[in-house]
Amino acid sequence: MAERLKPVDVVTVGVGMTGGIMGKELAAAGLKVVGLERGPMRDTVPDFQSPVIHDELRFAVRKALMQDNVKEAMTFRNSADQTALPMRRWAGFLPGNGLGGALVHWNGQTYRFQPADFIYKTHLEQRYGKDFVDPELTIQDWGATYEDLEPHYDRFEYLCGTSGKAGNLKGQIQPGGNPFEGARSREYPTPPMKEPYYGALFRKGAESLGYHPFPQPASTLSQPYTNPEGLKLQQCVFCGFCERFACEHFAKASPQTIVLPAALKNPNYELRTGCQVLRVNLDSTGKKATGVAYVNAAGQEFEQPADLVLITAFALNNVRMLLNSGIGKPYDPNTGEGVVGRNYAYQTVSSATVFYDDDVNINPFMASGSSGTVIDDFSGDNFDHGPQKFIGGAYIGSIMTNGRPIEFHPTPPGTPAWGLGWKQAVARHYNHTIALTVHGSSHPTRRNYLDLDPTYKDAWGLPLLRITFEFPDNDIRMSSYVTEKAAEIGRAMGGKTVVGTPRRPPYTTTVYQTTHNTGGAIMGNDPKTSPLNRYLQCWDVPNVFVVGASAFVHNATYNPTDTVGALTYWALAAIKDQYLKSPGPLVRT
Amino acid sequence: MTCVRRANAAAVITAIAVLGLAWSAASLAQGNKRPADPKHGAVIAAQGTANVPACAQCHAFSGASDSSGAFPRIAGQSAYYLEQQMHDFTASVRANAIMSPIAKALSADDIVDVAAYYAGNSDPFPPLASADAALVKEGQQLARLGNATKGIQACNNCHGPDGAGIPPAIPYLAGQYAQYIAFELQMWKRGFRKNSPESMAVIAQQLDERAIAAVAAFYQQARDPAVSASK
Repeated sequence: MAERLKPVDVVTVGVGMTGGIMGKELAAAGLKVVGLERGPMRDTVPDFQSPVIHDELRFAVRKALMQDNVKEAMTFRNSADQTALPMRRWAGFLPGNGLGGALVHWNGQTYRFQPADFIYKTHLEQRYGKDFVDPELTIQDWGATYEDLEPHYDRFEYLCGTSGKAGNLKGQIQPGGNPFEGARSREYPTPPMKEPYYGALFRKGAESLGYHPFPQPASTLSQPYTNPEGLKLQQCVFCGFCERFACEHFAKASPQTIVLPAALKNPNYELRTGCQVLRVNLDSTGKKATGVAYVNAAGQEFEQPADLVLITAFALNNVRMLLNSGIGKPYDPNTGEGVVGRNYAYQTVSSATVFYDDDVNINPFMASGSSGTVIDDFSGDNFDHGPQKFIGGAYIGSIMTNGRPIEFHPTPPGTPAWGLGWKQAVARHYNHTIALTVHGSSHPTRRNYLDLDPTYKDAWGLPLLRITFEFPDNDIRMSSYVTEKAAEIGRAMGGKTVVGTPRRPPYTTTVYQTTHNTGGAIMGNDPKTSPLNRYLQCWDVPNVFVVGASAFVHNATYNPTDTVGALTYWALAAIKDQYLKSPGPLVRT
Repeated sequence: MTCVRRANAAAVITAIAVLGLAWSAASLAQGNKRPADPKHGAVIAAQGTANVPACAQCHAFSGASDSSGAFPRIAGQSAYYLEQQMHDFTASVRANAIMSPIAKALSADDIVDVAAYYAGNSDPFPPLASADAALVKEGQQLARLGNATKGIQACNNCHGPDGAGIPPAIPYLAGQYAQYIAFELQMWKRGFRKNSPESMAVIAQQLDERAIAAVAAFYQQARDPAVSASK
């Protein structure tokens, strides 16, 4: 029998980036907030300290910071005629676990989406006509525009202290920045990181072909910074242990460095770790949440009543929480009806590898997760898709996140897969190779979706989330086109051998690509095509908001974190300025 | 992970093997002229050159210097680091009344040789009086955990477990003389030493007098025969 706890104003399901920001802000507004985090308490000191935190085997290979898939995983299949199986080890993507969530182990690459992304359907019809887009793709407008979100992007970047160079300040193109980006209201909070040698070689090659290189925006900081919460971040030392690791230098924007200390200082805020939320409880009408049910680390079940429930977990787990709570109609790919689980998208990532002679020393180990140089010439809306017969695009960058000994082994084609020949090739090429990343958009289709698995359950007896996904033909065509552009740049960089590896189906979860899972609980203007309104509020249960990349209507060219941050502050403003004054639906249907 | 390797044989991120990182100064210095000659370096250390006094006068032939702490221990410090400091002494980033004229008077090859000689020496550590136990304890805390309230990162995060060093770029501190460590931190703090401006200067500025004394006292006694043999 669950113990009923004292009611509070707000509960957040998950305390990572979105839950941390929401919890901090609403506690500061005077509300009693409880943050429920399924994983352990952890902080820079003592948990992220050397030499332990640089244990590549433990963290990068065995994924020590990730969700425990013995207790809770997802099942996967490529299409509805297959039987999905659970992911028993993480490989394709890496959902975080524990206080701070995935923002503890991210790389810090901090991009805004383009203005066109938020009005995607309208924009594509205007630019290319009504019949241009493959009818398989379920393109929609987001319900909020870039102009709506700009102040919230700005606020998130200033929270993180993001290092970069603006390319467009209030409509004025700025030298050195990204000339294609949407207008910014002000410069980045800190200047760009130093350009590594691999970035400099890329810059030269890209410029020789007439492209527009700029420093990658990085939330691994170029200099010490004090954020608006009064929290101090330090300068990145290029140790090469960002992705899959936590930062010991206070140099990477993580909830522990940018917001949580401010939340924890407030007596209105209470953090409970080791608490697995099972479901959002609804009243008898099914239109109002009464709180959440959770199990603590000792296995005791509790009911935490709350007036406002914020689902702030990883994107996939947000969708699962809605499905397991019976909020919103599940999507049916056969009829196209239903809303929860639709518009699931991923990221279409590929690469080109540039092999040099051994007199070019790259020193790839001197890296941060987001140091490097990129071009935006082939991203999203930045070129004419008319002749190409696809939509979307990819940025191309020389972004060497690390040169770690277990994982980083570039070898050219024809190298034996094991043995002496392979070892010699690894030694020969380790310090003389540049990897170019091609980071591309992912479009939702009618047949890619999320639902509950009929067979497999988690440690608490609840159905796992089932992912049904295959790369759309549109995105495969995009990948071929932009990966070839990356290979051309590689040749212009003076590479002896350049190997472009475009993304090819089938999608497999056994090869790491990216953790950028999006959609499933999308925002929009029509309750028939989205479970959330433009403020990330559930149409059906107005005292539930679902905050995360789960709200993305499609996944654009770029890394999602900055847009998740912008949507968090956007939803927060709606809650503080509108919802709290008059609780109820913020958009009338 | 083997499936990753098969799937991505041509691509970048492949799988497990032991990697022999050629982490010597010679392979790192781009456009290196000739291999180091530590025997010639030993001659410079013992006798100096026509324009330069013997290094051994202050640093001892072994590189252990003396326990006054006025001169740093250089035995077993990485050749890359020692070379880099010599070059910094010739520029304005580490101006020093004694070392700058010496560094300027040595040829590039002499510097390579003498650095290789001292890098190759793993002389035992001389016995030293131990500092106040409470001070050492404070220093240990800063070295291992930093100061989360002030946002000071732990020294060990860059300098290795209890200051063992992460060669080639980052020097060992374990067994270094407290006097020298404290002095150099003051030089960074006050802006006289300008190499590593973004890391060491920023950190030193956040350390007060007590913290400097504590961290210096800790590292002086943090010596371990296994650590001292590292190069």
